[in-house]
Amino acid sequence: MTTQLAPPLPPAVPRPAAVPAFGGSSLLTQIRVLTGRSLRAMVTDPGIVLFGLIQPVVILFVLTQVFSKMGMPPHFPDGVSYLDYVLPAVLVDNAAQSAMQSGVGLVEDQKNGIVARLRSLPVHPGALLAARSLVGLVRSAVQVAVIMALAMTVLGYSPNGGAAELALSAGLTLFISFSLGWAFIAAGAWLRRAEPLQNLALIVIFPLMFASSAYVPVADLPSWLGAVASVNPLTYAIDATRALALDVPGLDHAIPAVVICAVIAVVGMITAVRGFRRPL
Amino acid sequence: MNGLHLPPAPLPAPGVSAAGSGDLMIEAEGVSKVYGTVHALDSVSLAVPRGTVLGLLGHNGAGKTTLVDILTTALPPTSGRARVAGYDVADKPVEIRRRIGLTGQFASVDAQLSGYDNLVLIARLLGAGRRAARVRARELLELFRLTEVADRRASSYSGGLRRRLDLAVSLVGAPEVLFLDEPTTGLDPSSRINLWEIVEGLVEQGTTVLLTTQYLEEADRLADRIAVLSAGRVVAAGTAPELKATVGRRTVTLTLETGEDVSAARTALRGAGFAPVDGEARTVVVPIDATREIADIIRSLDQAGVEASELNFGEPTLDDVYLTLAEQAAGRTRA
Repeated sequence: MTTQLAPPLPPAVPRPAAVPAFGGSSLLTQIRVLTGRSLRAMVTDPGIVLFGLIQPVVILFVLTQVFSKMGMPPHFPDGVSYLDYVLPAVLVDNAAQSAMQSGVGLVEDQKNGIVARLRSLPVHPGALLAARSLVGLVRSAVQVAVIMALAMTVLGYSPNGGAAELALSAGLTLFISFSLGWAFIAAGAWLRRAEPLQNLALIVIFPLMFASSAYVPVADLPSWLGAVASVNPLTYAIDATRALALDVPGLDHAIPAVVICAVIAVVGMITAVRGFRRPL
Repeated sequence: MNGLHLPPAPLPAPGVSAAGSGDLMIEAEGVSKVYGTVHALDSVSLAVPRGTVLGLLGHNGAGKTTLVDILTTALPPTSGRARVAGYDVADKPVEIRRRIGLTGQFASVDAQLSGYDNLVLIARLLGAGRRAARVRARELLELFRLTEVADRRASSYSGGLRRRLDLAVSLVGAPEVLFLDEPTTGLDPSSRINLWEIVEGLVEQGTTVLLTTQYLEEADRLADRIAVLSAGRVVAAGTAPELKATVGRRTVTLTLETGEDVSAARTALRGAGFAPVDGEARTVVVPIDATREIADIIRSLDQAGVEASELNFGEPTLDDVYLTLAEQAAGRTRA
């Protein structure tokens, strides 16, 4: 550090150096520092993480209590309880909600003053976005772990897949959260307001979840809805996570699911950086 | 150009060309910013030597913040060139950002973090290691007398505290050039004076400052040179006394008893060749060129049978300078 302190004359101030006081930081350091910043805020305000758990738990409760009494549809996989069937979908739904939170987090950063500060610093505009994405991933991981633990211990979730398959399923769920996270970060970077972002999530995710294999097998949906479901990316995502966790058919949907998510993530990243670069 | 102390033997910043730019820390040449048909900045040129303060005076919408945005590389100019700390804003924004500090109109601190964490965060982003960042944070907290509130969230700070933290955050990297965009807007008088003292201390240490303000008192106190910005153009520039001498006129302010007296006085003064303007409640302000004209004013009032309850003689202030310039500029745009 080349900073010198002035003699104790009030007010003493550090002397400006012709060479900057610090040597500059790499993109990786910037991402790490900014991720640490948001994680710290999350830890000091755990309400956001816990609040995020209410919705999936309520949905899980409602679905299992209401729909399991209605008798199994004809194309339901054998030897699988409705809870088992629906849990991977609830995790994907939760991943999407968590992804939306990443976008909201970025909107809050933009209002908070930190973004204005970062603009005057030698910090890559993508660093804050990447940090938001990583924090979203951590939040998602915590939520997936809590929901799975809760479902296994309290509700009696008993997936047929082995530990490795279960872990792969959770990993794929997190990848879905990551890619949708970038879509919402891009939306946040362009819209810069939380409300339209939440409306977007409601308009897009909510219907797409129902028009998918999330709650009922596609073959049991009304034909028009089945047609929508069979091209709905969420069907691929849910089928793949479910196939892994429950050891049921549908693993062939894993590759398309991963490819779709990767495309969403890359397009989201590019769009997000472009939106974020626009003046405040 | 003035008696400010330069830091002892400063190393020339890399990138400062020996030819031309010399020791100018901020240079703008014909900088314009156009939004659609609106000229937010219209060919602004200015130069700020190292260790001096340029006061940029102008009302809301004059283009002050746009100019600061361009010089701090937040916004590209539509045309023109600008260099800060020897680097072109178009080519080397990162080099510039490593050497500048910015305190804007709204405190750019992370409201969710404590004052201490804010300072550590910025130091880390500038490349300080964990330990160096902590040391730097504590140093600045002490210098800005923020140690007591260091662990409180910035969102709980008062306006003055937050602004002080904002300035401290701007100084983490010991910047050579400091941009202060209306730094005291919304501050109470004692916070304002405190901030002025801090800025004066920085300049004494050799920091170059560009200060935008609506407060003439502020520009008068802090700035070595003043540029007046109006509708995106520099309409006047110079030292405070120079500006006062060239544009500011001495005035006589008459206080009258009634509204009728005001209009009667106005008519009488116009008849005598003066150009009176209405001042605050029942006052008339009369610009004059020489002291002896006071006698003419009294005579013409006497002839009209109007008696002034009070008569004040005023030396030109920066307020007069600014108002005169603004009127001239408005006249030009109308013409």
